[in-house]
Formats: sequence, structure tokens, C-alpha cells
Amino acid sequence: MEIFLTLLLIALAMMGTPLFIIIVASAMLGFYMSEVDLSVIAIEFYRLAEIPILLAIPLFTFTGYLLSESGAPQRLVRLTQAVLGWMPGGLAIVCLCACALFTAFTGASGVAIVALGALLFPALMQAGYRENFNLGLITSSGSLGVLFAPSLPLILYGVISQQMGLGEPFSIDDLFLAGLLPGILMIVILSGWSIWQGKSLPKIPYSTKALIDAINESKWEIPLPFIVLGGIYSGYFAVSEAAAVTVVYVLIVEILINRDIKLKQLPSIMHESMILIGAILVILGVSMASTNYMIDAEIPSQIFETIQEHVSDPLTFLLLLNIFLLLLGTMLDIFSAIVIMVPIIMPIALEYGVHPIHLGIIFLANMQIGYFTPPVGMNLFIASHRFNKPVLQLYRATWPFFILLLVAVLIITYWPALSLTLPAVF
Amino acid sequence: MHTKINRLIHLLEDGLLVFTLGAMILLALSQIVLRNFFDSGIEWSAPLLRVMVMWLGLLGAIAATKQSNHISIDVVSRLLPNKGKAISAVIANLFSAVICAIVSYYALQFVLMEYEDGMMAFSGIPAWLCESIIPVGFGLMALRFLLNIGSSVKLWAPDEPNKQQQPPQ
Repeated sequence: MEIFLTLLLIALAMMGTPLFIIIVASAMLGFYMSEVDLSVIAIEFYRLAEIPILLAIPLFTFTGYLLSESGAPQRLVRLTQAVLGWMPGGLAIVCLCACALFTAFTGASGVAIVALGALLFPALMQAGYRENFNLGLITSSGSLGVLFAPSLPLILYGVISQQMGLGEPFSIDDLFLAGLLPGILMIVILSGWSIWQGKSLPKIPYSTKALIDAINESKWEIPLPFIVLGGIYSGYFAVSEAAAVTVVYVLIVEILINRDIKLKQLPSIMHESMILIGAILVILGVSMASTNYMIDAEIPSQIFETIQEHVSDPLTFLLLLNIFLLLLGTMLDIFSAIVIMVPIIMPIALEYGVHPIHLGIIFLANMQIGYFTPPVGMNLFIASHRFNKPVLQLYRATWPFFILLLVAVLIITYWPALSLTLPAVF
Repeated sequence: MHTKINRLIHLLEDGLLVFTLGAMILLALSQIVLRNFFDSGIEWSAPLLRVMVMWLGLLGAIAATKQSNHISIDVVSRLLPNKGKAISAVIANLFSAVICAIVSYYALQFVLMEYEDGMMAFSGIPAWLCESIIPVGFGLMALRFLLNIGSSVKLWAPDEPNKQQQPPQ
């Protein structure tokens, strides 16, 4: 009976039923069978109102939407072009860096493809790069900033793991530091490939005047990363306060100073950004209940015992974890994957001696690749739609990037110091 | 009549959404300014902000339901022909409506229980008031999912003009 109902729920999920409905239905089923009053769902949902750091999620997301509606993407491209454009493969590296910075702020990675890809794709074509290289570059760059603060997936992983209260306690600030080197590793590897691709193309000469113009144009946006990170690491404000300061700063800059956004546009931008927030928070809220049920039913420890029979060393476990997460990433988006899978995987990984911060970086790095893994990686469809190319061509265009980032993920997985050194030092 | 009520609910939901986000930003900012420059603070601002995040989450979820923008796995329906798409969308929306209605019902029981207990959340604000958005939010989502069935039916035969048969959107 239970198996039949579970299969039914999976079938309903495949038919496009929202994931939060599937999660809440499975939790209700579990509670009903253990004869727990179903009001528990509401009690658990109310825990959303007991997590101070959650405030950062709507505020940073709104900031990201404001930035993408303003002229910030164009200015960011011009600035990185002035700084890096003279290198071999320069324009491609510009694309990598601009997308990474932008994704860190917008979280939802499709935004980077739509906002920046539209500017960069024609420029890359004109500079003489191959069409498939350009498509692959933009599609895979669309999720590149996931490991950089203050990206939503990082905050969400921190929230969930703090709720679990397992292993060594750590703060969101530590996670922000941990993502820095692995994120840079990914950019460096992809930059190497870009330099190789662009080595025979004519170089764009460096111009101090263009650099000064670009700096002058974006002088109000350049301080943004320093406000976010400087504020947090100087101890001046907490992460959620940094989010509040950032959103007010961006509102002032884009409405009053740059005048890119009109006051009457604000309600619709708020509305758009809060749809994403609602979709994430409602999954988080109902999974509080399902996680509670799973832990009561000791599901993670049962899975651990099963795995332990076959896998004894951490290295094999990590390899299996990578394969599992890559597959998961093709099916689930990064937010639901974190909310649903971290409570199951974390207790198991801790048993194998994986540090919770390291686990978070491994998890996000794998999910990032999942964004453009065939057949259903979300960014493949966004790029296909945006550039009007068949999805099959995008499969072909992205596979070199898939291989390169897979190498990065393996390095990140088997070299914990890359993630753990910075949080330990600061 | 139907459309009028519909429009009123729209306006209320959107207005509440924009108001909540705006108030959150102002409240969070004033908290920082008060603490850093005046060495003081408002006692209820931190718990109120936390409750507002939950409210915002549910209001956003209602908006996401309205636009069928929830996070879902869309593997099968992408491959199906129109009729299959219509059938699976109707089933998915119907199932979602039922589940939301059940959650709303039990959440209402919880809120009523808290009301009778007279629990306070913070600074004299009763707990049931903070929690009341859970049954209301899920109830409105149940309603939205039912209304979505109307637009799912449209997928069945996209060429045929049968506008009169559709429920008001």
C-alpha cells in the first residue's frame, strides 16, 4: 500500500504537480500512518517565522531583480571588458567573470543567461569565436556564480544545515568564505579553455581611457561586493542586515542616481521577485514537516546502514555522492534539491567524516553542473529559447564545458582544503 | 460578480505582497540605524520581521500559483501531445487543490487551538494572528489551483473557440 502511494506521488510529480504539494502530501501520508494529528504540518510550517537569517533571502533576491532590470548588466560587461578584454580569449573570460558576479547576486541562474547572454552572444560571434563555443560558454556560465557570496543556494544550505544542528557548528559567513576558492578554480579552468579557443583571434588592444570611462560609469555599482562582504566580515552587520543595507543602497543608486528604474516599476519588480521567493519558501516550509517525519522514522540512518554494508571508505562514498548529485541535478533545481536532499545526505556524509562546510560546497558544485546537463538541465532550455537554437545543438555545445567543470568538481571533492582553508584562517 | 470578487482578491494579494516587502525593508533598515547610531532598538522589530518573512513566502506562493510558476519536475508533460498535456495539468491542479485544502483545514484547527489558548507571539501580538496566514494562504492556493483547471482545459483543443465554457479567470 505504502509503495503504491509512493509510486502514485512520483507519477503525479512527473505530471507537473508542484514539488511542494508532493512533499506536503508525502509528509501528511507519513504522519497519518503514524497517527500524528495533521495540524503538525502547520506547526512545522510556522518554523519559517523562527529563523532570523531567512530575511536575507527575499532581500537579496529583490536586489538581484532590481539589478537585472537596471542598466547594471551592460555596465558590468563594459567594465570587465575594459579590465580583461585585452587578454587572449579576453571576451570569453569577460563572459565568465561577468556571469559569475551577476549570478552571485541574482541566484536564479536563468537571469544571467537572459540579461547578460543577450549582450555577450552577438559580441562573441563578432569577435570570431565558434557559435557552439559561444552557446556552451553562455549556457554554462549561467550557473557559475553559485559558489560566490551572497548566492541564495549558499544561504539556503546554511539555513538547512543549521536547522539540523549536526556536526561542527558553522556560520553562513564561513560558507561564504568556503565557496571562494572552489568558485575561482572553476573560472580559472574555463578561462584556460577560453584562452585556447581564442588564441588565434585578433586581440583587442588595452585602453586606459576605456577603463577610466567604464569605472566612471559603474562607480556606484563597484562598491556593492564590498558593502556585502566588507560589512559581514568587519563584523559591522549580520548577513540579513547586509541584505537590508544592500537593497536600500541599490534602490537609491538605480532609482535616484542612475535613474534606470522608475518608481512606478517597483511594484511589478517586487511582484516578480517574490514569486521566486514564494516558490522557494513554501518548499522550505513544508519540508520542515517532511524532514521532521523522516528523522523520526530514522530514514537517514537506515540508508546509512545499507550503504555502509557496501561502501566502507570515504573516497568511494564521495564518488557515489558525486554521481548521485549529478543525476539529481538534472531532475531537480538547486533550491528544491538542497531543501529535500540535504537533510537526508548530511547525516550520512557526517558518518563518513565529511565536513559539513565541505559537503555544502560539493553539493552546490554538482548542482551547478546539473543546470546544463542533458536531458532536462534548466539552463539548456532557457538558452535554447533565448538564442532560438534547438536543444540538441545546446547538448553538443555544452559537453566540453561539462567535462571541464566535472574535473573542477572532482578536485573540489577530493581536496577538502580548497574549501576549508579560508574559513579556518579567517 | 465573480470577476469583481476575483479582481478584488488580486488587488488585495498584490497590495499585501508589495506592502509586506516594503515594510520589511524599512523595518530592517531602521533596526540597523537605531542600533549603530542611537544605540537603541525597537523590541518587536526582530520577531515581527521573522513573521513577515513567512507571510511574504505564502503571499509569493499564492502569486506563483496564479501564474503556474511553482517549482516542479516537468519531464513527462514536456513530451506529451496536447491532449496528454491537458489531462496531466488537470490532474496535477486538482490534486494540488485537494492537498492545499487539507493543509488549510488542519492549519485552521491549529490556529483555533492557539486562539483558545490565548498564546502571545511577542509584545502583546497574539500568536494566532501571526499564524492565520497559513490556513488563509493554503486556502487561497486551493482556490487558485481549482481556477487553474480552467486554463488547463484550454490545452485540450487550442484551436476551437469555446470561450463561453471557461470559468472566469
